[in-house]
Amino acid sequence: MAKSRKSRQAVEAKSDAQMTRRTAILALGGIGGFGIIGGRLYQLQIAESENYLALSEENRFNYQTVLPSRGIIRDRHGEPLASNTLDYRIDLVSEQIDDLDLTLKQLGDIINLSEGEIKRIRRDVKRRPDFVPVTVKDHVDWDQFAALNMRVHALPGIVPTAGEGRTYPRDAVFSHITGYVGKANDRDIERDDDPLLLQPAFRIGKVGVEQAMDVPLRGQGGRLKVEVNARGRVVREWPDPSDAATPGQDVWMTLDAPLQRFTAEQFGDDSGGIAVVDVMTGELRTLLSMPTYDANLFVSGLTQADMDALNNDERRPQYNKVLSGGYAPASTYKMAVMLAALESGLVDPDRRIFCGGKVKLGNRDFHCWRSKTGHGAMNMRDSLKQSCDTYYYEISQVIGIQAIADMARRLGLGQSYGLNIGGERDGIVPDPGWKRDRLGSGWRMGDTLNASIGQGFVLATPLQLAVMTARLANGSQAVSPSLYAGFDRDSFASLNIDPDHLRLVQDSMWSVCEEPGGTAFRPNGLGIAGLDMAGKTGTSQVRGISRAERATGVLRNDELPWKYRDHSLFVGYAPYDRPRFAVGCVVEHGGSGAGRAATIVRSVLGEALRRDGLGARTDAGAERTAL
Amino acid sequence: MTVHFEDRPDVGGKLFRLDWLLPVLIGVLGLIGVLAILSATNGIWERGAIQHAVRFGAAFIGMIIVAMIDIRFWYAVAYPAFLAALVLLLGVEFFGINVNGSVRWLDLGFMRVQPSELIKPAVVLALARYYHDLPSWRVSDPFGLIGAMLIIGIPMALVLRQPDLGTSLLIGATGIALIFLAGVSWRIITLGSILALVSLPFIWQFGLRDYQRSRVLTFLDPARDPAGASYHITQSKIALGSGGLSGKGYLQGTQRQGGYVPENRTDFISTVIGEEFGFIGSIGLLAVYIAVIAACLRLSLQCKAVFSRMLILGLSITFTLYIFINLGMVMGLLPVVGVPLPLVSYGGTVVLVVMGSFGLMLSAHLHTSSLLPRSD
Repeated sequence: MAKSRKSRQAVEAKSDAQMTRRTAILALGGIGGFGIIGGRLYQLQIAESENYLALSEENRFNYQTVLPSRGIIRDRHGEPLASNTLDYRIDLVSEQIDDLDLTLKQLGDIINLSEGEIKRIRRDVKRRPDFVPVTVKDHVDWDQFAALNMRVHALPGIVPTAGEGRTYPRDAVFSHITGYVGKANDRDIERDDDPLLLQPAFRIGKVGVEQAMDVPLRGQGGRLKVEVNARGRVVREWPDPSDAATPGQDVWMTLDAPLQRFTAEQFGDDSGGIAVVDVMTGELRTLLSMPTYDANLFVSGLTQADMDALNNDERRPQYNKVLSGGYAPASTYKMAVMLAALESGLVDPDRRIFCGGKVKLGNRDFHCWRSKTGHGAMNMRDSLKQSCDTYYYEISQVIGIQAIADMARRLGLGQSYGLNIGGERDGIVPDPGWKRDRLGSGWRMGDTLNASIGQGFVLATPLQLAVMTARLANGSQAVSPSLYAGFDRDSFASLNIDPDHLRLVQDSMWSVCEEPGGTAFRPNGLGIAGLDMAGKTGTSQVRGISRAERATGVLRNDELPWKYRDHSLFVGYAPYDRPRFAVGCVVEHGGSGAGRAATIVRSVLGEALRRDGLGARTDAGAERTAL
Repeated sequence: MTVHFEDRPDVGGKLFRLDWLLPVLIGVLGLIGVLAILSATNGIWERGAIQHAVRFGAAFIGMIIVAMIDIRFWYAVAYPAFLAALVLLLGVEFFGINVNGSVRWLDLGFMRVQPSELIKPAVVLALARYYHDLPSWRVSDPFGLIGAMLIIGIPMALVLRQPDLGTSLLIGATGIALIFLAGVSWRIITLGSILALVSLPFIWQFGLRDYQRSRVLTFLDPARDPAGASYHITQSKIALGSGGLSGKGYLQGTQRQGGYVPENRTDFISTVIGEEFGFIGSIGLLAVYIAVIAACLRLSLQCKAVFSRMLILGLSITFTLYIFINLGMVMGLLPVVGVPLPLVSYGGTVVLVVMGSFGLMLSAHLHTSSLLPRSD
């Protein structure tokens, strides 16, 4: 299909012309396109230029968050239980560093950097944008900080800064109260929209008072206008006093720091909890769980070794035993049973009940602690003084479990007091309703007998035992404990118990400590002339004793491994005639209540009274109605 | 087919006859690029300016060498080059290495190449030859159309899979412009436009990836993502706008110093020029680009062969689209797609490919008297 040369040329010429025409059309489009670009340039750079110039100035200035000082936690005398110290830290800005290896090596010659720290720094540098500072080291001591400052000009990208760090007393006896602060985690940030939480150097309360009072302690962040240049780096600061941070409020506790320390010394290496409460006001002078841990460790982040040491300690240092530890109150529960019996009117306190060492219920034997010989004939006062179990087995069957449980609750057991510190446990005051709800089974008389001597289902914290004792000592008011000083609280509700009945209980408790034959009798008592104390021992079984063991008596309690030994309990108050302080104390696996716990409480009560001017009350509390 | 070369290539004569206006303008652009990169890197030569200058110089020499080679050689290798580029593109599919979430590179051991850059001139070469060989009366018939569509469509699909929406659209737009230039009938143009409009929703639904859709949506409604994609645009507009009429002065741009505009060494290089030299500088840069394109048009008009004209026009259309897309994106007129500002942005493959393209254009013009075979 060859075409003539002529027609082919014609076609080509026609197609050339068409291509030229269409090129022109595209060129027109191009001109239009460049027109749009030019117009946009005019709009941005001429018409709206001032607007963008202002925006670019705004870019140059920035606001930095200034962290507020955290409020101080103080004891009743103002002594700091948690305070702030100057904390030196070193940051690194990787965009200013050419050779990270070299810089880290040079840095390592000035401050100590472990292999692990170097690894973490490298990881952080990789993970974050170049301009975000990476922490090299927190809590650098002054010598190293000063040494680094001398040479920092030769280390571009290394930024030493001084900020505030939280610090707790070295003796650690307040750790369970103050708790500690830590970096906000993702959950904290989600829960709390305070922008301060996003600041890497900011710390929030994690447990204890630090957590419970976190918001007032925290304060409000301020801001600092800064001029930033390349990559947000600050070149100049423009401080404005009205932008300053508002420091957090101080929190005052009712605690008496020296008394708390003294108490911890009495505990020594033992494990347990103790609370010292003001009988009139309910203020807690001591609230101690032993052993303790160093809260400072948590601020900088616990090492695995520290964590393991804490977790593997069988005495469980992290566990707040005074608030959260549930212990069978054992014989310290007998005051509640006794009061219930008196209030019921069903038991004559003078009537004697014979103790032959055990009580038979059906085909089961319930033993008295003095099971071999028995106590003989006991009236009510003697039964408490000598802690005769048989007496309580017998009267509990007369008055019934409900009366006992009701009285225990009136005395403050089985409930938490809203201390606002966290970790408070309710404990257990068992009755048929409780058993049905919690265990789904019916109440048995055997349960009543167990409960009558504070065993079986009954559980109380050392704090609850202290409150019970304070109410017994106060006699008229349902004293409730407080931990924060300066709280205006309403007067306590009336206990609404016959004063004569209370007086018998108090007298019996006095006989425990001050009469020969009492389970906690010591010839020189408190060791303070003219002041008597009242109290009650308790020995709570941790491990059931087998019939064979009971028969042979081969194993004495202190021959068992630590964790199987009985808990030693004691509650007490002093002075007897003008009650001032009440104490509840549990020494885990401490053996008999008369031994370890009573010894601790005796010296703590003595010290508390000495520190208080031997109970010479001058304030409003002295006006209490006489019993 | 045999291709006859001159027995004794007259290199000196050719250098003399070369149209030097274009290389000079390109040199000016290269100089602007080096200075802008230097400013973008805070005046530190080692952070890109030196590399760019060296690469530019090498590519410039390469361009002259390409220009010296007879157009008949380029005509001969048009299809093989296209196939080779396609093979590399397919290679990416199987052996590509992942950089920043996109699989666009091939590691050849001694260097990394980006086949999606190579395919752009390759498509133009292939189409130019295709229309050169195709009798003009077949341009609008199904046979002619399908061939052109395949040359455009296959690489488009492969590039889109990488995923690289910007390059894919660039190939498509250049290809369609060449079909238009080849003289396809207005009836088909109208039909094609309608078809394209109708298929848009389907492309949106099935052709694009989530992040590509989100980029477009962000462009239409910047409030969607103020810290993400629209942050680029906001900061880039501030940089340009705050430059005002005459700019803040070389190395004085506060936006640039603040590092507020990301990628200002590469895709956003024009913000540096706009901030430091203002409206005058921006228009000046635009003027150099317009001059380059006008020079290309002039070359094309002086060529006889369809292959030569279409080669020059196609390559300059690609070049022009680069500029439009990049500047439109920087100024907030178009969504952000990763397209560099040719010859000014920092980047290796792009400089080589663009300079190679100019070499081809110069060769086509220089050898306009070389007769290319023409089928009837």
